Amino acid sequence: MDTVVNPETEVSLIDELKRGDSSAFKKAVREYSPGMLAVARFYLDHSSAEEIVQDCWVTVIDAIQKFEGRSGLKTWLHRIVANRCKNKLRSSKREVATDFSENLEPELAERFNATGRWDLPPKLRFDESADTLLENGALSDCLDKHLSALPETQRSALMLYEAHQHKSEDVCNILDVSASNLRVLLHRARQKIFLMVETFQETGEC
Amino acid sequence: MLMCRDLAEIASDYIDGELNVQKNLSVKMHLMMCRDCRSFIGNLRASTELMKAHSSGNPDEELMRRIDERVAEALKSRNAHDSNNE
Ligand SMILES: [Zn+2]
Repeated sequence: MDTVVNPETEVSLIDELKRGDSSAFKKAVREYSPGMLAVARFYLDHSSAEEIVQDCWVTVIDAIQKFEGRSGLKTWLHRIVANRCKNKLRSSKREVATDFSENLEPELAERFNATGRWDLPPKLRFDESADTLLENGALSDCLDKHLSALPETQRSALMLYEAHQHKSEDVCNILDVSASNLRVLLHRARQKIFLMVETFQETGEC
Repeated sequence: MLMCRDLAEIASDYIDGELNVQKNLSVKMHLMMCRDCRSFIGNLRASTELMKAHSSGNPDEELMRRIDERVAEALKSRNAHDSNNE
């Protein structure tokens, strides 16, 4: 996103922010939040990303006092957001562990019989495009809810790989997982999204 | 022979083109014969597309309003704190 703040107005904006001027904050929030949100959504789902951006602005009130202007304001804000997201990923990685020895979600694994054929085959036939499906706001909300409920590393794998089209190598580096574990994370997350969409299409419930 | 369950296990690798030639071929063979697995692969692909479509977009006014509120509140409590100290 292009910025309309030129270097001189940025200096005076920073001064106003340091003085705790509320209208300056309003202006800055409008100017910089879209970029900050884009950075956050590199790592997190929609609602977690919005939360991080909100939290960051609150920290900025104090942190701006130490801002020396060596980098631009935008770069500085983006760095704060990225660090927060990484911390969040790191702390939650300890909490939820994905079972890397299983490729199938338990809920899906149950749907095969002893011979390995489908007992309960997929009920869905997709004949609409993703965009058409998302015009249904309820599905979009449901997707967001389920993305939020995914274990953090699964969600980040999905966001980085799928939504932001990062190379596997980069995703492995950011998340600090092996290539084969990344494959499991992606597959498990996709199955959950599949199960969610299936239920939604069938029952209209999330 | 590749069973439906085996295919479900490696479905993402198939979609992303991560399978070796031999495995890839056996998936293709299975898909030719199995309607349910074709449907599963189709669904998984569609879910992937859905994710991509869902993740684009800009912050809305509602978020800006929430940030403004929280910032205003934090500024207020900070200013109150400062004047107490002076
Ligand atoms: Zn099959």
